[in-house]
Amino acid sequence: MDITSQRTDGALIVSAEGRVDGANARKFQKAVENVIGDGDSAVVLDMESLSYISSAGLRSILLIAKGLQKRNSKFAVCSLQGPIREVFRIVGFDKIVSIYDSQGDAVKALGG
Amino acid sequence: MLRPYKILVVDDEPDLEPLMLQRMRRHIRKGRYTFVFAHNGVEALEVLNRDGGIDMVLSDINMPQMDGLTLLEQIPKVDPNIRSVIISAYGDMKNIRTAMNRGAFDFVTKPVDFKDLQITIERTLAHMQEWREALSYRDKLVSIQNELEVASRIQQSILPSEFPEDMRYQVYGNMEPARDVGGDFFDILDLDKGRMGLAIADVSDKGVPAALFMMSCRTLLKGVAIGLSEPGPVLAEVNQLLHEDNETFLFVTVLYAVYDPGSGEFTYASGGHDAPLLVRADGSAELLPLTDGIALGVVPDLDYRQHSVILQPGDTIVLYTDGVTEAQNMLGDAFEVEGLHRIFAGTLASITAREGTDSVFQTVRDFMGEAAQFDDITCLTLHRDK
Repeated sequence: MDITSQRTDGALIVSAEGRVDGANARKFQKAVENVIGDGDSAVVLDMESLSYISSAGLRSILLIAKGLQKRNSKFAVCSLQGPIREVFRIVGFDKIVSIYDSQGDAVKALGG
Repeated sequence: MLRPYKILVVDDEPDLEPLMLQRMRRHIRKGRYTFVFAHNGVEALEVLNRDGGIDMVLSDINMPQMDGLTLLEQIPKVDPNIRSVIISAYGDMKNIRTAMNRGAFDFVTKPVDFKDLQITIERTLAHMQEWREALSYRDKLVSIQNELEVASRIQQSILPSEFPEDMRYQVYGNMEPARDVGGDFFDILDLDKGRMGLAIADVSDKGVPAALFMMSCRTLLKGVAIGLSEPGPVLAEVNQLLHEDNETFLFVTVLYAVYDPGSGEFTYASGGHDAPLLVRADGSAELLPLTDGIALGVVPDLDYRQHSVILQPGDTIVLYTDGVTEAQNMLGDAFEVEGLHRIFAGTLASITAREGTDSVFQTVRDFMGEAAQFDDITCLTLHRDK
Protein backbone atom coordinates (compact mmCIF):
# COMPACT_ATOMS: atom_id res chain seq x y z
CA MET A 1 0.00 0.00 0.00
CA ASP A 2 1.36 3.39 -1.06
CA ILE A 3 -0.08 6.89 -0.71
CA THR A 4 0.81 9.89 -2.85
CA SER A 5 -0.89 13.27 -2.90
CA GLN A 6 -1.04 16.50 -4.88
CA ARG A 7 -3.11 19.68 -4.74
CA THR A 8 -4.94 20.75 -7.90
CA ASP A 9 -7.70 23.25 -8.52
CA GLY A 10 -8.44 23.67 -4.82
CA ALA A 11 -8.82 19.94 -4.14
CA LEU A 12 -6.39 17.55 -2.51
CA ILE A 13 -5.99 14.40 -4.58
CA VAL A 14 -4.80 11.37 -2.61
CA SER A 15 -3.85 8.37 -4.71
CA ALA A 16 -3.73 4.91 -3.14
CA GLU A 17 -1.84 2.01 -4.64
CA GLY A 18 -1.78 -1.72 -3.87
CA ARG A 19 -3.89 -3.59 -1.31
CA VAL A 20 -5.77 -2.27 1.68
CA ASP A 21 -6.80 -5.10 3.99
CA GLY A 22 -7.17 -5.87 7.70
CA ALA A 23 -3.40 -5.92 8.13
CA ASN A 24 -2.76 -2.36 6.94
CA ALA A 25 -6.17 -0.60 7.08
CA ARG A 26 -5.22 1.52 10.12
CA LYS A 27 -1.89 2.46 8.56
CA PHE A 28 -3.73 3.43 5.38
CA GLN A 29 -6.19 5.61 7.29
CA LYS A 30 -3.43 7.37 9.25
CA ALA A 31 -1.38 7.90 6.07
CA VAL A 32 -4.32 9.52 4.28
CA GLU A 33 -5.27 11.62 7.31
CA ASN A 34 -1.67 12.78 7.63
CA VAL A 35 -1.54 14.25 4.12
CA ILE A 36 -4.83 16.12 4.60
CA GLY A 37 -4.02 19.68 5.70
CA ASP A 38 -6.20 21.97 7.79
CA GLY A 39 -6.86 24.09 4.73
CA ASP A 40 -8.10 21.26 2.49
CA SER A 41 -11.82 21.77 2.00
CA ALA A 42 -12.17 19.09 -0.70
CA VAL A 43 -10.46 15.70 -0.75
CA VAL A 44 -10.59 13.15 -3.57
CA LEU A 45 -9.32 9.63 -2.99
CA ASP A 46 -8.13 8.25 -6.34
CA MET A 47 -8.34 4.43 -6.39
CA GLU A 48 -7.17 3.81 -9.93
CA SER A 49 -4.09 1.86 -8.77
CA LEU A 50 -5.76 0.10 -5.87
CA SER A 51 -5.86 -3.65 -6.51
CA TYR A 52 -7.86 -4.81 -3.49
CA ILE A 53 -9.80 -3.41 -0.59
CA SER A 54 -11.28 -5.43 2.26
CA SER A 55 -14.15 -4.43 4.52
CA ALA A 56 -11.60 -3.19 7.08
CA GLY A 57 -10.34 -0.88 4.30
CA LEU A 58 -13.88 0.33 3.63
CA ARG A 59 -14.22 1.13 7.30
CA SER A 60 -11.04 3.24 7.08
CA ILE A 61 -12.59 5.19 4.19
CA LEU A 62 -15.73 5.66 6.28
CA LEU A 63 -13.63 7.02 9.17
CA ILE A 64 -11.75 9.37 6.82
CA ALA A 65 -15.07 10.59 5.36
CA LYS A 66 -16.58 11.11 8.84
CA GLY A 67 -13.52 13.08 9.92
CA LEU A 68 -13.83 15.38 6.90
CA GLN A 69 -17.57 15.74 7.39
CA LYS A 70 -17.01 16.95 10.97
CA ARG A 71 -14.93 19.88 9.70
CA ASN A 72 -17.26 20.55 6.76
CA SER A 73 -14.82 19.38 4.11
CA LYS A 74 -16.04 17.52 1.04
CA PHE A 75 -14.99 14.00 0.16
CA ALA A 76 -15.28 11.76 -2.88
CA VAL A 77 -13.61 8.71 -4.35
CA CYS A 78 -12.82 8.23 -8.03
CA SER A 79 -11.50 5.88 -10.73
CA LEU A 80 -12.59 2.63 -9.07
CA GLN A 81 -11.46 -0.42 -10.99
CA GLY A 82 -13.84 -3.36 -11.59
CA PRO A 83 -13.29 -5.46 -8.44
CA ILE A 84 -13.13 -2.39 -6.17
CA ARG A 85 -16.31 -0.97 -7.71
CA GLU A 86 -17.97 -4.35 -7.12
CA VAL A 87 -16.99 -4.32 -3.42
CA PHE A 88 -18.43 -0.81 -3.04
CA ARG A 89 -21.63 -1.95 -4.75
CA ILE A 90 -22.08 -5.14 -2.70
CA VAL A 91 -21.48 -3.46 0.65
CA GLY A 92 -23.76 -0.60 -0.40
CA PHE A 93 -21.07 2.05 -0.01
CA ASP A 94 -21.90 3.43 -3.45
CA LYS A 95 -24.94 4.90 -1.70
CA ILE A 96 -22.95 6.46 1.15
CA VAL A 97 -19.80 7.75 -0.56
CA SER A 98 -19.74 9.97 -3.70
CA ILE A 99 -18.08 8.04 -6.52
CA TYR A 100 -16.82 9.57 -9.80
CA ASP A 101 -15.33 7.99 -12.90
CA SER A 102 -12.30 10.26 -13.08
CA GLN A 103 -10.27 12.74 -11.05
CA GLY A 104 -11.52 15.54 -13.28
CA ASP A 105 -15.19 14.65 -12.67
CA ALA A 106 -14.60 14.41 -8.93
CA VAL A 107 -12.77 17.74 -8.68
CA LYS A 108 -15.46 19.45 -10.79
CA ALA A 109 -18.26 18.00 -8.68
CA LEU A 110 -16.61 19.02 -5.43
CA GLY A 111 -16.51 22.58 -6.77
CA GLY A 112 -12.73 22.84 -6.70
CA MET B 1 9.79 5.62 47.17
CA LEU B 2 10.91 2.22 45.98
CA ARG B 3 12.69 -0.14 48.33
CA PRO B 4 16.52 0.10 48.20
CA TYR B 5 18.37 -2.31 45.95
CA LYS B 6 19.85 -5.12 48.00
CA ILE B 7 23.43 -6.00 47.07
CA LEU B 8 25.25 -9.04 48.41
CA VAL B 9 29.01 -8.49 48.68
CA VAL B 10 31.12 -11.67 48.91
CA ASP B 11 34.81 -11.34 49.86
CA ASP B 12 37.06 -13.11 52.37
CA GLU B 13 38.99 -9.91 53.13
CA PRO B 14 37.46 -8.34 56.26
CA ASP B 15 38.51 -4.82 55.16
CA LEU B 16 36.04 -4.61 52.33
CA GLU B 17 32.88 -4.44 54.47
CA PRO B 18 33.70 -1.21 56.40
CA LEU B 19 35.25 0.32 53.29
CA MET B 20 32.16 -0.38 51.17
CA LEU B 21 29.80 0.97 53.83
CA GLN B 22 31.92 4.08 54.14
CA ARG B 23 32.35 4.81 50.41
CA MET B 24 28.74 4.09 49.56
CA ARG B 25 27.30 5.83 52.62
CA ARG B 26 25.54 8.58 50.63
CA HIS B 27 23.69 6.04 48.50
CA ILE B 28 22.85 4.00 51.60
CA ARG B 29 21.54 7.06 53.41
CA LYS B 30 19.43 8.07 50.39
CA GLY B 31 17.85 4.62 50.49
CA ARG B 32 19.28 3.62 47.12
CA TYR B 33 21.31 0.58 48.25
CA THR B 34 21.49 -1.75 51.19
CA PHE B 35 24.40 -4.16 51.56
CA VAL B 36 24.61 -7.69 52.93
CA PHE B 37 28.00 -9.36 53.38
CA ALA B 38 29.30 -12.92 53.12
CA HIS B 39 32.88 -14.22 53.30
CA ASN B 40 32.84 -17.10 50.87
CA GLY B 41 30.62 -18.84 48.32
CA VAL B 42 29.00 -21.18 50.83
CA GLU B 43 27.98 -18.32 53.10
CA ALA B 44 26.78 -16.35 50.07
CA LEU B 45 24.46 -19.20 49.02
CA GLU B 46 23.11 -19.43 52.58
CA VAL B 47 22.33 -15.71 52.51
CA LEU B 48 20.72 -15.98 49.05
CA ASN B 49 18.52 -18.88 50.14
CA ARG B 50 17.60 -17.37 53.50
CA ASP B 51 17.35 -13.73 52.59
CA GLY B 52 15.04 -13.20 49.60
CA GLY B 53 15.09 -10.04 47.54
CA ILE B 54 18.80 -9.85 46.71
CA ASP B 55 19.08 -7.88 43.45
CA MET B 56 22.74 -8.28 42.64
CA VAL B 57 25.86 -10.07 43.82
CA LEU B 58 29.32 -8.51 43.88
CA SER B 59 31.85 -11.28 44.41
CA ASP B 60 35.59 -11.82 44.75
CA ILE B 61 37.04 -14.82 42.88
CA ASN B 62 39.58 -16.38 45.25
CA MET B 63 37.91 -17.41 48.51
CA PRO B 64 38.07 -20.45 50.81
CA GLN B 65 35.37 -23.17 50.81
CA MET B 66 33.70 -22.01 47.60
CA ASP B 67 35.29 -19.62 45.14
CA GLY B 68 33.54 -16.92 43.11
CA LEU B 69 33.55 -18.89 39.86
CA THR B 70 31.72 -21.81 41.49
CA LEU B 71 29.32 -19.41 43.18
CA LEU B 72 28.50 -17.90 39.75
CA GLU B 73 27.25 -21.28 38.61
CA GLN B 74 25.08 -21.69 41.70
CA ILE B 75 23.36 -18.28 41.74
CA PRO B 76 20.95 -18.90 38.82
CA LYS B 77 19.70 -22.01 40.61
CA VAL B 78 18.54 -19.80 43.46
CA ASP B 79 17.17 -17.01 41.24
CA PRO B 80 17.97 -16.67 37.53
CA ASN B 81 17.14 -12.95 37.63
CA ILE B 82 19.99 -12.00 40.00
CA ARG B 83 22.88 -10.27 38.20
CA SER B 84 26.47 -10.81 39.31
CA VAL B 85 29.57 -8.63 39.06
CA ILE B 86 33.00 -10.14 39.70
CA ILE B 87 35.93 -8.47 41.48
CA SER B 88 39.17 -9.83 40.04
CA ALA B 89 42.88 -9.17 40.27
CA TYR B 90 44.06 -6.59 37.78
CA GLY B 91 44.95 -8.23 34.44
CA ASP B 92 43.64 -11.67 35.39
CA MET B 93 41.99 -12.17 31.99
CA LYS B 94 41.73 -15.93 32.34
CA ASN B 95 39.45 -15.75 35.39
CA ILE B 96 37.57 -12.76 34.01
CA ARG B 97 36.79 -14.68 30.80
CA THR B 98 35.69 -17.73 32.79
CA ALA B 99 33.45 -15.55 34.96
CA MET B 100 31.88 -13.88 31.91
CA ASN B 101 31.31 -17.26 30.31
CA ARG B 102 29.58 -18.42 33.47
CA GLY B 103 27.13 -15.56 33.25
CA ALA B 104 28.74 -12.67 35.14
CA PHE B 105 27.20 -9.40 33.96
CA ASP B 106 30.38 -7.33 34.38
CA PHE B 107 33.64 -7.16 36.36
CA VAL B 108 35.73 -4.65 38.29
CA THR B 109 39.40 -5.01 39.20
CA LYS B 110 41.39 -4.65 42.39
CA PRO B 111 42.25 -2.29 43.86
CA VAL B 112 38.61 -1.30 43.70
CA ASP B 113 37.95 2.14 42.24
CA PHE B 114 34.71 2.98 44.06
CA LYS B 115 33.62 5.57 41.53
CA ASP B 116 33.92 2.99 38.75
CA LEU B 117 32.25 0.40 40.99
CA GLN B 118 29.31 2.70 41.56
CA ILE B 119 28.87 3.22 37.80
CA THR B 120 29.06 -0.56 37.31
CA ILE B 121 26.45 -1.14 40.02
CA GLU B 122 24.09 1.42 38.47
CA ARG B 123 24.52 -0.10 35.01
CA THR B 124 23.85 -3.58 36.37
CA LEU B 125 20.78 -2.48 38.29
CA ALA B 126 19.42 -0.59 35.24
CA HIS B 127 19.85 -3.70 33.14
CA MET B 128 18.15 -5.80 35.79
CA GLN B 129 15.27 -3.36 36.00
CA GLU B 130 14.71 -3.53 32.23
CA TRP B 131 14.99 -7.28 32.34
CA ARG B 132 12.33 -7.50 35.04
CA GLU B 133 10.02 -5.19 33.08
CA ALA B 134 10.49 -7.30 29.98
CA LEU B 135 9.60 -10.39 32.02
CA SER B 136 6.48 -8.74 33.36
CA TYR B 137 5.42 -7.65 29.84
CA ARG B 138 5.95 -11.19 28.66
CA ASP B 139 3.75 -12.48 31.48
CA LYS B 140 1.06 -9.95 30.60
CA LEU B 141 1.27 -10.94 26.95
CA VAL B 142 0.88 -14.60 27.85
CA SER B 143 -2.17 -13.77 29.93
CA ILE B 144 -3.69 -11.69 27.10
CA GLN B 145 -3.08 -14.57 24.73
CA ASN B 146 -4.83 -16.89 27.16
CA GLU B 147 -7.77 -14.50 27.26
CA LEU B 148 -7.86 -14.38 23.46
CA GLU B 149 -8.02 -18.15 23.40
CA VAL B 150 -10.97 -18.02 25.78
CA ALA B 151 -12.64 -15.39 23.56
CA SER B 152 -12.03 -17.57 20.55
CA ARG B 153 -13.58 -20.59 22.28
CA ILE B 154 -16.61 -18.55 23.36
CA GLN B 155 -17.00 -17.33 19.82
CA GLN B 156 -16.79 -20.79 18.34
CA SER B 157 -19.20 -22.06 20.97
CA ILE B 158 -21.97 -19.62 20.02
CA LEU B 159 -21.95 -20.88 16.45
CA PRO B 160 -24.48 -23.65 15.85
CA SER B 161 -22.85 -27.05 16.26
CA GLU B 162 -26.02 -29.08 15.93
CA PHE B 163 -28.09 -28.77 12.82
CA PRO B 164 -31.82 -29.37 12.42
CA GLU B 165 -32.78 -32.82 11.20
CA ASP B 166 -35.70 -32.79 8.84
CA MET B 167 -36.79 -35.13 6.04
CA ARG B 168 -37.47 -32.19 3.75
CA TYR B 169 -34.15 -30.29 3.89
CA GLN B 170 -30.61 -30.22 5.26
CA VAL B 171 -28.59 -27.30 6.48
CA TYR B 172 -24.94 -27.18 7.53
CA GLY B 173 -22.43 -24.42 8.23
CA ASN B 174 -18.86 -23.84 9.37
CA MET B 175 -16.51 -20.94 10.18
CA GLU B 176 -12.72 -20.84 10.29
CA PRO B 177 -11.29 -17.64 11.78
CA ALA B 178 -8.12 -16.17 10.25
CA ARG B 179 -6.89 -14.94 13.62
CA ASP B 180 -7.58 -15.89 17.23
CA VAL B 181 -10.89 -14.09 17.24
CA GLY B 182 -12.77 -13.53 14.04
CA GLY B 183 -15.53 -11.26 12.83
CA ASP B 184 -17.66 -13.77 10.88
CA PHE B 185 -20.62 -15.69 12.19
CA PHE B 186 -23.58 -17.69 11.03
CA ASP B 187 -26.78 -18.68 12.80
CA ILE B 188 -29.76 -20.95 12.36
CA LEU B 189 -33.01 -19.96 14.09
CA ASP B 190 -36.25 -21.77 14.82
CA LEU B 191 -39.11 -19.50 13.76
CA ASP B 192 -42.89 -19.84 14.05
CA LYS B 193 -44.97 -21.92 11.61
CA GLY B 194 -42.11 -24.39 11.18
CA ARG B 195 -39.98 -21.87 9.34
CA MET B 196 -36.23 -21.45 9.77
CA GLY B 197 -34.09 -18.32 9.90
CA LEU B 198 -30.60 -18.43 8.34
CA ALA B 199 -28.02 -15.72 8.91
CA ILE B 200 -24.45 -15.22 7.73
CA ALA B 201 -22.44 -12.13 8.58
CA ASP B 202 -19.01 -10.50 8.34
CA VAL B 203 -17.85 -7.68 10.64
CA SER B 204 -15.56 -5.11 9.01
CA ASP B 205 -12.46 -5.95 11.03
CA LYS B 206 -10.84 -8.66 13.10
CA GLY B 207 -9.70 -8.89 16.68
CA VAL B 208 -11.37 -8.13 19.97
CA PRO B 209 -13.44 -5.00 19.05
CA ALA B 210 -14.81 -6.78 15.99
CA ALA B 211 -15.59 -9.88 18.05
CA LEU B 212 -17.56 -7.83 20.59
CA PHE B 213 -19.44 -6.08 17.78
CA MET B 214 -20.14 -9.45 16.20
CA MET B 215 -21.51 -10.84 19.48
CA SER B 216 -23.84 -7.90 19.89
CA CYS B 217 -24.97 -8.14 16.26
CA ARG B 218 -25.73 -11.83 16.61
CA THR B 219 -27.72 -11.31 19.82
CA LEU B 220 -29.73 -8.43 18.31
CA LEU B 221 -30.43 -10.40 15.15
CA LYS B 222 -31.64 -13.39 17.11
CA GLY B 223 -33.93 -11.26 19.27
CA VAL B 224 -35.35 -9.23 16.40
CA ALA B 225 -35.81 -12.24 14.08
CA ILE B 226 -38.02 -14.04 16.57
CA GLY B 227 -40.37 -11.05 16.78
CA LEU B 228 -40.48 -10.02 13.11
CA SER B 229 -41.13 -12.57 10.42
CA GLU B 230 -39.77 -10.90 7.26
CA PRO B 231 -36.01 -10.57 6.48
CA GLY B 232 -36.20 -6.95 5.25
CA PRO B 233 -37.76 -5.51 8.42
CA VAL B 234 -35.44 -7.66 10.55
CA LEU B 235 -32.36 -6.08 8.94
CA ALA B 236 -33.89 -2.59 9.21
CA GLU B 237 -34.43 -3.05 12.95
CA VAL B 238 -30.99 -4.57 13.62
CA ASN B 239 -29.38 -1.77 11.58
CA GLN B 240 -31.16 0.82 13.69
CA LEU B 241 -30.13 -0.82 16.97
CA LEU B 242 -26.50 -1.28 15.88
CA HIS B 243 -26.25 2.29 14.63
CA GLU B 244 -27.63 3.88 17.79
CA ASP B 245 -24.42 4.02 19.76
CA ASN B 246 -21.85 2.89 17.27
CA GLU B 247 -18.86 5.14 17.99
CA THR B 248 -16.47 2.67 16.42
CA PHE B 249 -17.80 2.88 12.84
CA LEU B 250 -17.48 -0.84 12.68
CA PHE B 251 -20.12 -2.25 10.39
CA VAL B 252 -21.37 -5.70 9.53
CA THR B 253 -22.57 -7.19 6.28
CA VAL B 254 -25.45 -9.59 6.90
CA LEU B 255 -27.48 -11.87 4.73
CA TYR B 256 -30.61 -12.93 6.53
CA ALA B 257 -33.07 -15.41 5.03
CA VAL B 258 -36.26 -17.16 6.06
CA TYR B 259 -36.86 -20.62 4.66
CA ASP B 260 -40.23 -22.34 4.60
CA PRO B 261 -39.62 -26.08 4.30
CA GLY B 262 -43.26 -26.68 3.35
CA SER B 263 -43.31 -24.56 0.21
CA GLY B 264 -39.56 -24.36 -0.46
CA GLU B 265 -39.81 -20.58 -0.43
CA PHE B 266 -36.49 -18.90 0.39
CA THR B 267 -36.80 -15.18 1.17
CA TYR B 268 -33.67 -13.14 1.85
CA ALA B 269 -32.46 -9.61 2.36
CA SER B 270 -28.84 -8.51 2.09
CA GLY B 271 -27.30 -5.75 4.15
CA GLY B 272 -24.16 -5.23 2.08
CA HIS B 273 -23.48 -8.96 1.93
CA ASP B 274 -22.49 -11.12 -1.03
CA ALA B 275 -25.35 -12.58 -3.06
CA PRO B 276 -26.47 -16.16 -2.36
CA LEU B 277 -25.48 -18.79 -4.91
CA LEU B 278 -28.38 -20.95 -6.07
CA VAL B 279 -27.37 -24.31 -7.50
CA ARG B 280 -30.17 -26.15 -9.29
CA ALA B 281 -30.61 -29.92 -9.14
CA ASP B 282 -29.08 -30.23 -12.64
CA GLY B 283 -25.87 -28.51 -11.49
CA SER B 284 -26.53 -25.17 -13.18
CA ALA B 285 -25.87 -22.24 -10.90
CA GLU B 286 -26.77 -18.58 -10.62
CA LEU B 287 -26.04 -15.74 -8.23
CA LEU B 288 -29.33 -14.46 -6.84
CA PRO B 289 -29.86 -10.70 -7.19
CA LEU B 290 -28.45 -8.36 -4.56
CA THR B 291 -31.20 -6.52 -2.74
CA ASP B 292 -29.16 -3.27 -2.65
CA GLY B 293 -29.03 -3.02 1.12
CA ILE B 294 -26.25 -1.11 2.86
CA ALA B 295 -24.02 -2.83 5.45
CA LEU B 296 -25.55 -2.58 8.95
CA GLY B 297 -24.48 -0.06 11.56
CA VAL B 298 -23.45 2.80 9.26
CA VAL B 299 -26.55 4.80 8.26
CA PRO B 300 -29.76 5.06 10.32
CA ASP B 301 -33.38 4.83 9.14
CA LEU B 302 -32.89 2.48 6.21
CA ASP B 303 -35.41 0.17 4.59
CA TYR B 304 -34.16 -3.17 3.36
CA ARG B 305 -35.69 -4.83 0.30
CA GLN B 306 -36.10 -8.57 0.17
CA HIS B 307 -36.34 -11.14 -2.61
CA SER B 308 -37.85 -14.63 -2.82
CA VAL B 309 -37.11 -17.77 -4.79
CA ILE B 310 -38.69 -21.21 -4.62
CA LEU B 311 -36.24 -24.03 -4.06
CA GLN B 312 -37.16 -27.11 -6.08
CA PRO B 313 -36.32 -30.55 -4.71
CA GLY B 314 -32.60 -31.12 -5.20
CA ASP B 315 -31.77 -27.37 -5.23
CA THR B 316 -29.05 -25.93 -3.00
CA ILE B 317 -28.41 -22.44 -1.64
CA VAL B 318 -24.83 -21.56 -0.72
CA LEU B 319 -24.29 -18.62 1.63
CA TYR B 320 -20.68 -17.50 2.14
CA THR B 321 -18.50 -14.63 3.30
CA ASP B 322 -15.87 -12.91 1.17
CA GLY B 323 -13.25 -14.98 3.00
CA VAL B 324 -14.28 -17.71 0.52
CA THR B 325 -14.41 -15.71 -2.70
CA GLU B 326 -11.39 -13.53 -1.87
CA ALA B 327 -9.16 -16.34 -0.61
CA GLN B 328 -5.84 -16.03 -2.42
CA ASN B 329 -3.39 -18.58 -3.70
CA MET B 330 0.39 -18.16 -3.82
CA LEU B 331 0.11 -16.31 -7.16
CA GLY B 332 -2.26 -13.75 -5.66
CA ASP B 333 -5.28 -15.01 -7.64
CA ALA B 334 -8.63 -14.92 -5.82
CA PHE B 335 -10.94 -17.93 -5.50
CA GLU B 336 -13.90 -15.89 -6.84
CA VAL B 337 -17.55 -16.90 -7.06
CA GLU B 338 -16.61 -19.01 -10.08
CA GLY B 339 -14.62 -21.23 -7.71
CA LEU B 340 -17.82 -21.85 -5.76
CA HIS B 341 -19.75 -22.55 -8.99
CA ARG B 342 -17.23 -25.17 -9.99
CA ILE B 343 -17.49 -27.03 -6.68
CA PHE B 344 -21.18 -27.60 -7.10
CA ALA B 345 -21.45 -27.94 -10.87
CA GLY B 346 -22.43 -31.43 -11.90
CA THR B 347 -21.80 -33.33 -8.68
CA LEU B 348 -24.79 -32.03 -6.84
CA ALA B 349 -27.57 -34.54 -7.11
CA SER B 350 -26.04 -36.84 -4.51
CA ILE B 351 -24.35 -34.24 -2.29
CA THR B 352 -25.57 -33.46 1.24
CA ALA B 353 -25.47 -30.01 2.82
CA ARG B 354 -22.62 -31.15 5.04
CA GLU B 355 -20.63 -32.57 2.13
CA GLY B 356 -21.26 -29.34 0.24
CA THR B 357 -19.94 -27.14 3.06
CA ASP B 358 -16.99 -29.44 3.79
CA SER B 359 -16.16 -29.51 0.13
CA VAL B 360 -16.10 -25.68 0.01
CA PHE B 361 -13.60 -25.60 2.90
CA GLN B 362 -11.47 -28.35 1.42
CA THR B 363 -11.39 -26.78 -2.04
CA VAL B 364 -10.56 -23.32 -0.67
CA ARG B 365 -7.75 -24.79 1.47
CA ASP B 366 -6.34 -26.68 -1.53
CA PHE B 367 -6.57 -23.52 -3.62
CA MET B 368 -4.75 -21.40 -1.00
CA GLY B 369 -1.95 -23.94 -0.56
CA GLU B 370 0.76 -22.29 1.52
CA ALA B 371 -0.69 -18.78 1.10
CA ALA B 372 -1.74 -16.96 4.28
CA GLN B 373 -5.41 -16.82 5.28
CA PHE B 374 -6.30 -13.10 5.39
CA ASP B 375 -9.94 -13.37 6.33
CA ASP B 376 -12.36 -15.56 8.23
CA ILE B 377 -13.91 -18.21 6.02
CA THR B 378 -17.59 -19.01 6.54
CA CYS B 379 -20.01 -21.07 4.51
CA LEU B 380 -23.60 -22.14 5.17
CA THR B 381 -25.38 -24.52 2.83
CA LEU B 382 -29.11 -25.27 2.57
CA HIS B 383 -30.29 -28.21 0.47
CA ARG B 384 -33.88 -29.12 -0.32
CA ASP B 385 -34.16 -32.88 -0.39
CA LYS B 386 -35.78 -34.70 -3.27
